[in-house]
Amino acid sequence: MKVTFKIWRQEGPNDKGAIRAYEVDGLTEDMSFLEALDHLNELLVLKDEKVIAFEYDCREGICGQCGVFINGRAHGPHDHMTTCQLHMRSFKEGDTIVVEPWRAASFPVIKDLIVDRSAFDRIIEQGAFISAKTGTAPEANAIPIPKAVSDRAMDAAACIGCGACVATCKNSSAALFTSAKINHLNGLPQGRAEEHKRVAEMTYQMEIEGFGSCTFTGACEVECPEGISIINIAEMNARVTKAKVLG
Amino acid sequence: MALNPLFFRKTIIAGTGLFLCIFLVVHLSANCILLLPEETARGLYNSYSTTLRESPLIKIVAYLLYASILLHVFYALLITLRNRKAKPQKYVMNHSKENSTWTSQNMGLIGTMILLFIVVHLANFWARIKLGMGEAVRLDAVGNVDVYEVTSSLFHNIYYVIFYTVLAIPLALHLHHGFKSAFKTLGFYHKNGLRIVAKVALIYAIIMGVGFGIIPLIVYLK
Ligand code: HEM
Ligand code: SF4
Ligand code: FES
Repeated sequence: MKVTFKIWRQEGPNDKGAIRAYEVDGLTEDMSFLEALDHLNELLVLKDEKVIAFEYDCREGICGQCGVFINGRAHGPHDHMTTCQLHMRSFKEGDTIVVEPWRAASFPVIKDLIVDRSAFDRIIEQGAFISAKTGTAPEANAIPIPKAVSDRAMDAAACIGCGACVATCKNSSAALFTSAKINHLNGLPQGRAEEHKRVAEMTYQMEIEGFGSCTFTGACEVECPEGISIINIAEMNARVTKAKVLG
Repeated sequence: MALNPLFFRKTIIAGTGLFLCIFLVVHLSANCILLLPEETARGLYNSYSTTLRESPLIKIVAYLLYASILLHVFYALLITLRNRKAKPQKYVMNHSKENSTWTSQNMGLIGTMILLFIVVHLANFWARIKLGMGEAVRLDAVGNVDVYEVTSSLFHNIYYVIFYTVLAIPLALHLHHGFKSAFKTLGFYHKNGLRIVAKVALIYAIIMGVGFGIIPLIVYLK
């Protein structure tokens, strides 16, 4: 299988960067998209050229490291899928595949396809945890949690922090990510003790990191590999108001 | 606690937006009088508008309305600019239509068209009737200001008819997305409830768009 990759190359954060085309032969439909990039990099090494920098870790859709913009869509042409889960069978012989890094002021490019997502870490640091004494885990059945409540918390907890929501959002809003983290903990009894502080400080951090305001285009929930629902953002908005009134 | 007051910009846009949505219902209902036969319409429309102008309660509502438009536009433009700054570099290729509607991606542009409409609309009516600018407005047979005449003469100018009718399209688009979005901004997160909101938004937007768009045409053809 032969395709043309058009890939964003950028030496460093201050370099201007540009798209460069690479014709790649010898691919198979069963290769994953990242394996195709590996293959391209091996060819570049043989030619003594600089390899393309891209991020990954698990390559099985759970770590959230691998996101890039492929042919105009976050994580490629399918809904609810990470870049590492994409395979070359989603493309045709002779296709041109445009690959770009996430674009957002709050996610500056480090090199080629790698962006700095530490803004997410700083939002997490503001309250996506519970203050608990370490030691033996408490008895699991000591706090009864209705199934519906735990299901909703688990759905929100599925967020892998990949940043596709920010990348695809025309406002670079981090509302889907932040709301997933907030609703995961605020929905559970263990998280309730710090609920208002958590909401206030995480949404505040989200604003000062320079992410835009959510205008409910709905693009995020389509691209999100975990299918985090946009209703989480509405729920976060309700929690912000509640924190303002009660907190 | 560090609760960012800036977070509430969207709340203001949503609150004022919904208030304007209610206003539009009242406004369109009243405009339906224009569809009645000429003499009935003239009498009813003029006495209705005189009653409104003389009511102290409506005076308060009118100021609320002006304030809502100003706040809505101010904060809408503010977040639109800030949101643009949050994505300084665009993608070389972006298939946003595969994950969202064109309307939702272009609310700032659509809103600006509506703003243009509001400015022209206020110049046509409000400036003439309330501020007494331009050609003086006559009284009708029973001594009410003849607002019907202002409307009917305006809508016998084909260029104005086209302007009013065409700009009902961005209005409908804006209302369709805005109505749904406002509920979520204000924190309504009931799943089935939001499905109903989406249906109501579509019906509401169609009624408003068709209503405001077709009345000038009918008056023109009358
Ligand atoms: C009849 C007049 C108008 C009505 C009824 C109306 C209604 C609404 C509603 C209900 C919203 C949703 C708020 C939210 O998302 O939370 C909204 C949003 C918005 N409006 Fe308006 N609006 C009007 C005029 C305007 C004008 C004149 C502008 C001009 C700049 C404008 C620009 C915007 C923008 C930029 C947004 C936010 C974008 C978004 O949520 O995607 N609107 N409007
Ligand atoms: S909400 Fe979805 S798209 Fe956004 S960071 Fe989490 S997993 Fe990725
Ligand atoms: S590499 Fe871990 S999610 Fe893709």
